[in-house]
Amino acid sequence: MANQKPGRDNFTRNLVIVVVVGVVLLMLVPTLLSKKTNSSAKVPASVSSDRGYGIVFNADAKSVPVVDIYEDFQCPVCMQFEKLNGDYIESLITEKKATVVYHTLSFIGPDSVRAANAAACSADQGKFLDFHKTAYANQPAENTGAWTNDALVVLGKAAGISSKAYDTCVTGGQYADWVNNVANAGAKANVNSTPTVFINGKEIDRKTEYFSADKFKAAVARG
Amino acid sequence: MKKAQPWLTLAGRLILGGVLFAAGFLKYEHLDKSRMAVRAYELLPISIANFLGIALPFLEIAVGILLLLGAAIRISSAIGGALMIVFIFGISQAWARGLSIDCGCFGGGGQVAPGTANYLPEILRDAALAAIAIYLFRYPRSKFALDRARTDEDHING
Repeated sequence: MANQKPGRDNFTRNLVIVVVVGVVLLMLVPTLLSKKTNSSAKVPASVSSDRGYGIVFNADAKSVPVVDIYEDFQCPVCMQFEKLNGDYIESLITEKKATVVYHTLSFIGPDSVRAANAAACSADQGKFLDFHKTAYANQPAENTGAWTNDALVVLGKAAGISSKAYDTCVTGGQYADWVNNVANAGAKANVNSTPTVFINGKEIDRKTEYFSADKFKAAVARG
Repeated sequence: MKKAQPWLTLAGRLILGGVLFAAGFLKYEHLDKSRMAVRAYELLPISIANFLGIALPFLEIAVGILLLLGAAIRISSAIGGALMIVFIFGISQAWARGLSIDCGCFGGGGQVAPGTANYLPEILRDAALAAIAIYLFRYPRSKFALDRARTDEDHING
């Protein structure tokens, strides 16, 4: 082994290894920290951390089923689910026949995060259901970047929101931490696809009960 | 064969390193989805699965870069090969238990509609990558690598 410059060669290699491993670790730690639930995050009206930070309707209704809906505003299957069952779920809310909790997940991409933030802003204006419906009716393809904050302000107007507070809430990303908390709660609840519906804490049958309006109603009635 | 080996190792490094780097990078952009992908295997306690969903892309990126640069080839290929064997095990058990999941190998992941999961090609691909990793571990001497840069000179010097 007649090495001419062993020192230099190994130095470069070792430096590269240290830098690569070091940089990756330096990025991993803040990422792990930023994904932590922030218990002092600003939360919208009608949200309860006991219910996975979801937006709750009829929180105090007695002896009615609890319907937890996990969805992502960008998810095309959620849009189909909304088309099929959205009006029925709304009637459950207005007729106080169920406690309904909306969990606005955001795993598809940044557009989902902005949309979930805007949904929270709309909840403050008492317009969550209108926003929800309007958002699905105008759902763009996934991750096109179409849902900018400005676009979501316009979407809010289309949903009948005419408050400056909503606009600043959307453009300022006021509930960004809350969106992260919702995502964490969904992760803890082991929600692995959207839409996912729990009725009284039990998931309905993925094979049959999501995409038949009758079977979905039966599942809610069964409780 | 003796002359071809460093070139084969170079090719193996680029394939395994490239695949790992790409897989890690695509997951890195969607970490919530990555956490979901790990949970969907239903193998680990939820909190550990969620941690792994975040940590795994970083590990893949680091090992991928090291393989592409040819630094610490033996350790990197050992980690890469171990990952592939874990992936094969995870996908196989999902298949055997009748779960319907996306493997989440290159982003994506989570449950999919029953009957649309496609496990065999994923297992075969990971097996091929594991074979490459074993080759790299056994024959780490490579063209254009930071590792043991002096072996070429040794060769030339006789």
